[in-house]
Amino acid sequence: MKENLTVDRSSVPLTKEDFVSDQMVKWCAGCGAHAILSSVANVFPKIGYKKENFCLVSGIGCSSRFPYYVNTYGFHGIHGRANAIATGVKIANPHLSVWIATGDGDSMAIGGNHFIHIIRRNVDLNIMLFNNQIYGLTKGQFSPTTPQGSVTKTSPQGTIEQPFNPGELILGAQGTFFARVADTNPKMMTEVMFEAAKHDGTSVVEILQNCVIFADKTHNTITSRDLRDDHQLHLKNGEPMLFGKEKEKGIMLTATGLKVVKIGENGITLKDILVHDQYAQDPGIHLMLAKMNPPEFPVALGVIRSAKFSTYDDMVVEQIAYAKENSSILSVDDLLNSGDTWEI
Amino acid sequence: MKELRLMKGNEAIAEAAIRCGADGYFGYPITPQSEVLEYLMAERPYEKTGMVVLQAESEVAAINMVYGGAACGKKVLTSSSSPGISLKQEGISYIAGAELPCVIVNVVRGGPGLGTIQPSQSDYFQAVKGGGHGDYRLIVLAPASVQEMADFVKLGFDLAFKYRNPAMILTDGVIGQMMEKVELFESQPRLTKEEILKQTPWATVGKTPDRERNIVTSLILDSAIQEQHVNKLRDKYIEIEKNEVRYEKIQCDDAEYLFVAFGSSARICQKAVDMGRAKGIKVGLLRPITLFPFPKQVLFELADQVKGILDVEMNLGQMVEDVRLAVNGKVKVEHYGRYGGMIPSPDEVLLALENQIIGGK
Repeated sequence: MKENLTVDRSSVPLTKEDFVSDQMVKWCAGCGAHAILSSVANVFPKIGYKKENFCLVSGIGCSSRFPYYVNTYGFHGIHGRANAIATGVKIANPHLSVWIATGDGDSMAIGGNHFIHIIRRNVDLNIMLFNNQIYGLTKGQFSPTTPQGSVTKTSPQGTIEQPFNPGELILGAQGTFFARVADTNPKMMTEVMFEAAKHDGTSVVEILQNCVIFADKTHNTITSRDLRDDHQLHLKNGEPMLFGKEKEKGIMLTATGLKVVKIGENGITLKDILVHDQYAQDPGIHLMLAKMNPPEFPVALGVIRSAKFSTYDDMVVEQIAYAKENSSILSVDDLLNSGDTWEI
Repeated sequence: MKELRLMKGNEAIAEAAIRCGADGYFGYPITPQSEVLEYLMAERPYEKTGMVVLQAESEVAAINMVYGGAACGKKVLTSSSSPGISLKQEGISYIAGAELPCVIVNVVRGGPGLGTIQPSQSDYFQAVKGGGHGDYRLIVLAPASVQEMADFVKLGFDLAFKYRNPAMILTDGVIGQMMEKVELFESQPRLTKEEILKQTPWATVGKTPDRERNIVTSLILDSAIQEQHVNKLRDKYIEIEKNEVRYEKIQCDDAEYLFVAFGSSARICQKAVDMGRAKGIKVGLLRPITLFPFPKQVLFELADQVKGILDVEMNLGQMVEDVRLAVNGKVKVEHYGRYGGMIPSPDEVLLALENQIIGGK
């Protein structure tokens, strides 16, 4: 069944240049989105599909200008509806590699409903969630991921709302793939995007993105040079969760949850450190990792969860095939001659 | 005391909401009207009058917050621009069905779809002819100045409460964004709980032993009763058409030709009238202020006086249908429009009058 759904591969090797469009990129100088665009242009040729079999879908917002800038088919949709539109694209044509560019306004606020349902269905496509913690396109109002207390155009006294942690929402919606990267680490972003592409099912990559105009340095406690070693945990499957400048700190699993420990202190050795299993079916530890936040914890970056479950598109195709094979009605004539179709 | 201020149209909406004693504003950012929400947040009316200002998670959420607030007998409003107003239509239909008062501001931008962020008048049909489902009407006010942006918030609430019907202020990016002198009306306090109880006996304000409980709904499954309900709405709309028609006649007394235009188009036509008169063309302007109820009668009468009418709108020709219905074939009515965010100049409007009406056959 899976063969039916494979995307055609390119017969000639493609390069980054093949995916650069002729459109002028209209993001501000210094916007984190430039790094995401570059990363996608690096990843797409590696995936190896024909250019025309990629489809980029977006909603509304700064992130959603993305389809113009990648030389593939694109769909600039409706505010908040990118995930629903992309579901339609993928179900109607499973032979496409579908990518969604969306933001914290588009998918966390107005499109929150579609966002949780695409994840719950596990449609085989890839969501890039640009999280700059602000409405950029409408010029600086708070979003559902804006940290509490932030002063914005619509919160002059500081926001009083609790922000979403997208990872919690994704895993709560039964997400099968969740990764988090920062726009300051394009190498990791490119690796993670490739992992996301390989995953069968809905993959969500949350990108901690800087909005240089309206929320500058919003992720600085995670990404700044002097803090990043202590505030970033780079996850690698099968490896212990170590962080710090000298990798002297680690994450330990205790009876009550995760804990930051120091190797060599209180008898802690490398053996005590939790080893990352991104493929674990149970999302329990993945959720704990997704929720980690400074100053108590580092922020988990990399692939947090990549679990194998049936995809919606596989099951739709299977259902159709099953119905075709097992139906006694094979033509319109069969249908017309099948006798009464209702009882009075 | 009355106060003079230089303000953007969007800011005038916000300031007027505070001054007329509104209880709540619910909105979501969208260009070109985000200043309404931003101004209200910056002014912190909750500290002065107790008015609530909330940035919702979507336009759909905002209109439903309005639905909730209105059901409590509170003075509540929302604002958005075209794509956001499309999202609100379900809520608007329910609010009209449940006969609740509220004010909805549409700072129109060019469509369809995401369209453009530039000004347009292409939501006339949506505002005047329905928009949401079912047999209902909105009271639609079309301001042509920043002054009217402020005044019509108050007027909108007054009419909305008088008729228990949602009122819409249909404006556009020109008036929303431009700055003009405004004479602000005096602040009035928000209604007290006792006043709400008295003024809105239908409101869901909690049941006391001396009154029946109120249930706000737009659901009437029994067709015969639903028909009665729609008849009641019809009678209300007839009443509104009888009492609330508002328009402005500019140099119409001796006019041989007539512009009909609302909102920012009327401002452009006003200049074109002056230019035409300077050239010896006796042209006037009828500016509908209420788009529903539409000033049918005055148009019907003017049609006996003038030789031709040019309807000018920033759209493909929407109000022109109502102008033709009102004129009822008595005189030639043509449409001239720019759209997609383009704004006509007074010269081209006058030229259109000369080509399509005066010189036209």
